[in-house]
Amino acid sequence: MKEVKREYSDMPVVSFDDAPEMAPYLTPPRAMYVGAPGKHGYLNLGFELDASGKSILRELDRRAPLIVQQELYFDEELPGMPCVYILSSGGPNIDGDRYTQNITVRKDAMAFVSTGAATKLAEMKDNYSGLSQVITVEEGGYLEFLPEPVIPCRHTRFISDTRMVIHPTATVFYSEVFMGGRKYYKDGEMFCYDILSVCTHGERPDGRQLFREKFIIDPSNASLRDVGIMHGYDIFANVVVLTPPDKAREIYEATSAFINRDTHVSAGITHLPNDAGLLFKVLGRETGPVKAEVRDFCSNVRKAVKGVPLPAEFPWR
Amino acid sequence: MKVMRLLQMTDSTFPVGTFSFSNGLETAAYEGMVHDAATLEQYARSVALQGAFSDGVAALLAYREAMKNNLRGVEEVDSQLMLFKMNDEARTMLQRMGRKMAELSEKFYPGNRIISLWHRDIKEELTPGSFPVAQGLAFAAEGLTEEELFASHQYGVINMVLGAALRCVRVSHFDTQEILFRLSEDVPRLYAKARVMRVEDMNAFVPEADIFASLHEKGNMRMFMS
Repeated sequence: MKEVKREYSDMPVVSFDDAPEMAPYLTPPRAMYVGAPGKHGYLNLGFELDASGKSILRELDRRAPLIVQQELYFDEELPGMPCVYILSSGGPNIDGDRYTQNITVRKDAMAFVSTGAATKLAEMKDNYSGLSQVITVEEGGYLEFLPEPVIPCRHTRFISDTRMVIHPTATVFYSEVFMGGRKYYKDGEMFCYDILSVCTHGERPDGRQLFREKFIIDPSNASLRDVGIMHGYDIFANVVVLTPPDKAREIYEATSAFINRDTHVSAGITHLPNDAGLLFKVLGRETGPVKAEVRDFCSNVRKAVKGVPLPAEFPWR
Repeated sequence: MKVMRLLQMTDSTFPVGTFSFSNGLETAAYEGMVHDAATLEQYARSVALQGAFSDGVAALLAYREAMKNNLRGVEEVDSQLMLFKMNDEARTMLQRMGRKMAELSEKFYPGNRIISLWHRDIKEELTPGSFPVAQGLAFAAEGLTEEELFASHQYGVINMVLGAALRCVRVSHFDTQEILFRLSEDVPRLYAKARVMRVEDMNAFVPEADIFASLHEKGNMRMFMS
C-alpha cells in the first residue's frame, strides 16, 4: 500500500494493489490501517529431518493474528509425520488484512498442514484482504496442505498468490475448498461477494516455470449459475498435486472423473503442463461430500507416494 | 480488402481444424447438461467468457509484440499461455490449430519476419505454437486492428461450440444463429476488460467445463477431440 503508516513488524506488508481486478478496492480502510498490528499476519514454517531421521518442525516464526503451536504426531498411518494447524486469533479476515505464509519442507522430510477451522472472509467496505504464500519442497520431500474451507461473505474481496518451488523428486498436495458463501445464513448468502482472485503457480528450484493457474470469481461480471461455471453447485474445491510423472500416472489411473446426479457431486482430474503433476476439481452442493472427495484424492496421492492411505477423518472435523 | 481478409480468417471453413473440437460440449451433451437452446447458450457464454480472458488476452498481447517486431515477446506470450492451459486436450487443440495457422500465414505473408521466425521455432520445438498467438501475428501482418482480432477470436470460440452443437445437441441452425447474435453483444464489454490485462492477469473460471473436459479425456467419446 502507498499509505502504510506505523509499520510495527520487520516483515514487509504484502500488496496486490497492482492487480487490475483489485483496482475498485484500493480505498484505505476507515478502521485499522493496512499493516496495523493484528492485521498483518506472518507465518514461516520449516520442516526438516533431525539427526535421527525424524521429520520435525524446526523453524517457526509468526506474527499475530496467525498462530501455529507445536507439531503433533497424530496421523495413525504416518506416525512419523508432523502435523500442524494454522489458527488465527483475529477471527475472520477483514478489510485491509494482509497475510504471508511460507512453508518449507526440506530434503526427505514430510509434513501435514491444515487449519483449525474454516477461514471466514468478512464483509469489506473499502479495501481487500490478501494472502501471499511460498511453498518450497526440497528433494524427496512430501507435503500435504489440506485446510478447512474458505467462506466468503457479502462484499468480500479476497486475493491470493501461491508460489510453489518444488524439486522434481518431491510431492506437494495443495488443496483449497471455496464455499459460495454463508449458505444457511438468514435466507442464504450465495455468491454475494465482490471478488475472489486466486493464483497458484509452480516452478522448479532452477526457476523453470511449470504451470500457472489463475481464477477470478466476480459474481457481478459472470452468470455463475450458467452451465459450465457453477451451474447448480455451491462448493468448489481445487487441488494441485506436484509429483514425479510415474506417481502422477498412478494417481491419475486410481482417480475417477464423474458426475453423480444423486449426490450432486462432480469431480475431474487432468494433467498439469510440463509433466508437473495433476489438477483435481470437485463441485458439490454441500461441504461435507466435497471435503470427502478431496480427502479420498489425497489418500490416492499418499498411497502412490508413501504407500499408505489417509486415516479416517476425526469425527469432529 | 481488409474486410475480406477479416472475413476469411474468421470463417469457420478456414482450415485450422475447428470442426474437430467441441470444447467440452460433447460430454456436456452426453451427460444431459446441455440439451436445448437455452442450456447451449449458457454453455457457449461460459466458454466465451473463459476464452476472452485467457486466449483472447494472449492474442492481443502477441499482436502487440508482433507490431513491435519482438519475436522474444511473441514467444513469451506463447509459452505463458501454454503454462496456463490446464488440460491435455486443450493444449493439443491450441497447438494443432496454431501450427496450421502458422503454416498458412507463412504462405500468405512470405516476407513477414516475425511469422517466418516463429514458424521456424515451432518446427524446432522452441516455442509451443498456440492458435491465439498465430491469430495475433496474422492480424498484425495484415494490419487489422486489435478490436477486429478480439472479435474474430471470440467469434471463433463461440462458433466452435455452436458448430459442434449442430452435431450433438438437438438445436436448429436458427437456434445457433440467434445465440451467436446475442453473445456477440457481450464482446465490447469483454474487450474493454481484456485489453488492459497483462500476461499474468490471464484468468479462467469454468470448473464444470473443466470437469466435462476431464470426463472426455478419461472417457471413450471420440466424435470430437475435446
